Amino acid sequence: MTTDETNGEAVEETPPDTFEGTLWPDVNRALSAVDVRPERGALDLIVHLPRKDVIRGLGMLKHDDELHFDYLRSLTAVDNEDEGVDVVYHLYSVSKNHNLTVKTTLANEDKVLETATTVWQAANWLEREVAEMFGVTFNGHPDPRPLLMPEDVDLSDVHPLLKSHPFAEIDVLQGEGLGHDRDAPGDV
Amino acid sequence: MVVEAPSEFETQDLLINVGPQHPSTHGVFRMVLEIDGEVVKDLVPYIGYLHRGAEKLCENNDFRQGIGYMDRTEYLAAHNAELSYVMAVEALGEIEVPERAQWIRMILCELNRISSHFMFLGAFGIDVGVFGTPFIYAWRERETIIDLFEEISGDRMMYAYFRAGGLAWEVPANFENRVREVLASAQQGVKDFDGLLTENEIFIARTKGVGFISAEDAIEMGMSGPTIRASGVPLDIRKTEPYLFYDQLDFEPITANGGDVFDRYIVRLQEISQSIDLIGQCLERLQPGPITPERMPRMLRLPEGEAYIRTEAPRGEYGVYMVSKGGNKPHRLKVRSACLSNLQALKQMSVGQYVADAIIILGSIDIVLSEVDR
Repeated sequence: MTTDETNGEAVEETPPDTFEGTLWPDVNRALSAVDVRPERGALDLIVHLPRKDVIRGLGMLKHDDELHFDYLRSLTAVDNEDEGVDVVYHLYSVSKNHNLTVKTTLANEDKVLETATTVWQAANWLEREVAEMFGVTFNGHPDPRPLLMPEDVDLSDVHPLLKSHPFAEIDVLQGEGLGHDRDAPGDV
Repeated sequence: MVVEAPSEFETQDLLINVGPQHPSTHGVFRMVLEIDGEVVKDLVPYIGYLHRGAEKLCENNDFRQGIGYMDRTEYLAAHNAELSYVMAVEALGEIEVPERAQWIRMILCELNRISSHFMFLGAFGIDVGVFGTPFIYAWRERETIIDLFEEISGDRMMYAYFRAGGLAWEVPANFENRVREVLASAQQGVKDFDGLLTENEIFIARTKGVGFISAEDAIEMGMSGPTIRASGVPLDIRKTEPYLFYDQLDFEPITANGGDVFDRYIVRLQEISQSIDLIGQCLERLQPGPITPERMPRMLRLPEGEAYIRTEAPRGEYGVYMVSKGGNKPHRLKVRSACLSNLQALKQMSVGQYVADAIIILGSIDIVLSEVDR
């Protein structure tokens, strides 16, 4: 098992020609009006877009004749704690059969993004899930209700998939197990 | 069949609540129908009743423990769900999987597709109103496959048989013969269903032209699996982006052009025959050999990186997006549910149809609520 994944700093020094064999030349052309940073993923090319341009960029990727990303595979977010929350879009083109991952980073104190439902209707429920699980607000969403969380939970400060949200303690009913405190007084 | 109420009748809209506990919702799914006479004017789905936080659980357990949670997200096709997960671990850790393990994985995933599609045929028969016979026929076929899975993994539904790098243990010595037995039985099962439903006049009248969705809309909604192939889109990840050894097999994605409930049925029925054929091809190529890599650490630690793995599960694209920051647990694990995306299109397919048809449209998506809610 070797580590050949690129990290954040290494990418900026990489000359553009190392992205040969990927979609990078086409993506770079289609997104020429946007500040875009590429990265090589395990399977697909990853591009980072600034928050203000992400929906415009996704629209360009969808309507570009060469790329034609007409299918939204998945939309989710990753909590990087101090470095903010990444919103991740996995795009696919049914006609051209290629993939692209688009990422944008939101600062923890300002988790607001435009909705992608204007680009693909498929984003509707996926954004509702990200909104409740990570506390991201999607401006202009047509139906901003919670999706999976119970109705009686106040979602203004409970976002279960944030790393700061506690993982439930497991009650140990008998014997030695998870969470067993050996030094507790009176414990055998 | 879009029905418009004659203008001389003044009818009042009525709200009906269906579910969350209702036999035709295939689990805990709730929808509120707004109807005018017999015609659905609006439909609001509610999900989340089976949300157990599988993603958060996986993020707090190590890479081996996560396999068990994948079974519980997609309990009707647990092998397929495990496959995406272990492939994500293998992609991040660059783990080589022995050939024999890959072939066995393919056989088990295709068998699971057959059992899952039989489950659909039985339940769909009930939705359409043919109670009894199809359900029992489907159960009989599914039972033989589940018995085989039990012999292999020790469990009837939550197999936890795949491991990062290969399989948990070797299959029983009579594996190939048992698979052939099961296939012969499934072959007969397909014939039975074909004779029972496909040409049945009442069945056709109930399902043809109902719940239409066009290819463009299906792509726009992110649908996948038999549901999108019934609209004429040949999107089958086994063919478009081959994984395991699917590139060595001879097959074409099965599509239909009607985009209606009947076509979703017929695509699944034909896919059973296709899977039987694929397993036959796999058995020919199955050779003795190791089933796990020679050196596997007891506690896996993966390097930093991320991978989005997608495989063709019976209900569509089952994706696993795994982010590792080093260490023995995934930093983030997202399960891309095929049913969730397919279910989004329910409203579009149902509005303008009869109430009774809304039930069979829901049945034709073949939802598993534990996969939708995770």
